[in-house]
Amino acid sequence: MSTAKPQERPTGKRCFSTWAGVALALLLMARPAAGDEEAAPSQPRPEGEALIDADTPIGRVEYVAGRGLRLGKTRFTLGGFSTVGAEYLEGGERNVALEGVNFFVFFDPTSWLHVFSEIEVEHLATLENGEHGIRSDPEVEVDRLYADLGRSDALNLRFGKFLTPFGRWNVAPAEPLVWTTSEPLIVEETFDETATGAMLWGAAFPPGSTLSYSFYGTFLDPIAPDPDAQPAGHSAGAHLEWARSNWALGASYFASEGPGNGWNNLGGLDVLWRPHERVELSAEALVGKGPRSDRSMWGLYLQSVVEVVPTLYAIARYERFDPPARGSTIDLVDLGLTWVPVSYLRFKIDYRIADQSGERAAPGLRSSFSILF
Amino acid sequence: MVVVLLLAPVASQPKSSLLAVIVHPERTATTSIDELAQIYLRRKRFWSDGNPIVPLNLPAGTPLREEFSRSVLRQSEARLAEYWNRQYFYGILPPATLASTDAVLRYVASERNAIGYVPVSEADDSVRVVLRLD
Repeated sequence: MSTAKPQERPTGKRCFSTWAGVALALLLMARPAAGDEEAAPSQPRPEGEALIDADTPIGRVEYVAGRGLRLGKTRFTLGGFSTVGAEYLEGGERNVALEGVNFFVFFDPTSWLHVFSEIEVEHLATLENGEHGIRSDPEVEVDRLYADLGRSDALNLRFGKFLTPFGRWNVAPAEPLVWTTSEPLIVEETFDETATGAMLWGAAFPPGSTLSYSFYGTFLDPIAPDPDAQPAGHSAGAHLEWARSNWALGASYFASEGPGNGWNNLGGLDVLWRPHERVELSAEALVGKGPRSDRSMWGLYLQSVVEVVPTLYAIARYERFDPPARGSTIDLVDLGLTWVPVSYLRFKIDYRIADQSGERAAPGLRSSFSILF
Repeated sequence: MVVVLLLAPVASQPKSSLLAVIVHPERTATTSIDELAQIYLRRKRFWSDGNPIVPLNLPAGTPLREEFSRSVLRQSEARLAEYWNRQYFYGILPPATLASTDAVLRYVASERNAIGYVPVSEADDSVRVVLRLD
């Protein structure tokens, strides 16, 4: 690790161009507070132990595990996560896959502008039973790309492609953040995962609480849409949440252009409760019509997470889903264990029990290892 | 003996560490523990004048930092780590740290948007105390 040394005063007669070059180099390397070191306050450092910490021409470059690489004075930070998963399903599917690497790029040039992007490189490597060798079909997708503008906690504008703020799960669905290898069916199948447009969002802070809101609409061509689930041409929605220290209650609404000329409406509720430091209970429920259906549907999940011993968690989730397409109501139970040895690593193994077979239910054993970097 | 040792942590704490939450002397607003928690969780990000709040922490593991977290944030380290992982997913990072209470004092005295905490005994006229914690 190196620290900038105090600047030395130039002495003697030198060629102007030589001194100009020296001065420029010193300026590029200099700390903001030059001169008398005792009078200049130390500069704050990122939280966490820096695994990389170097003074460079662009300023101090620091990497903290699970918190990204800060690129000095550029105001850019790079980070992301990656996941390796394996499945051993009752239907006979067996596979191991490096599911992808997701890169975060965020840029904070001023206090009122935050630019964020999540870029995924997926299908990196898959080994499936019945196939010879490892299949690799990498694709680059822009999962999120947006700018947040605002100088107030109460009102901000987000513009770009962002995760649809419906419920709790969909706003933070990344593998290192969730407790199971699979996501609930009501999250996976009922509304557009992302919205490309604009969102007003903010929060107020009555004593002991946080009231947060978001109102959004999609009116732009989608950025890098998922070809398997084309988003609705136009949609709009809202999410409201009331949170206190150990619980949060949310309500969501999502309206989308339906297959015909009308609009489909979907409503939902979500709740998070931590009755004990080592126990977390969460649930979501929704009812209505999603963007690609002409029939109503409903569904819910209830999930409990218990820290049985430090760093080891037991998870149980029940789901019930009445799909819009022809088909019977599905009941699922996921039982799993998740080990979090350090905050940026997560090992999971869970078993799904379903009252039916088929691609949607897909009962069987799943595991994954994910890392936030 | 083991039970005594397990119960000992409270008795063996360093001498009383009453905390003072400090801001730049030009800041006139007061604050509460609730608001302080919102600030240090980066949910409340702006002063009333629209300038960004710069919360400062001491390094993780230091007794004063732990006391502050216990009094204000009221969450375990595991819960906080989980919270910050979620915030990182949006490109929001935890408050920055300074190595010592002296560094905190000097930085807050010079940076109008900063807020930090030091032992009450160290808070001097270069800063303004907006809250005392014990």
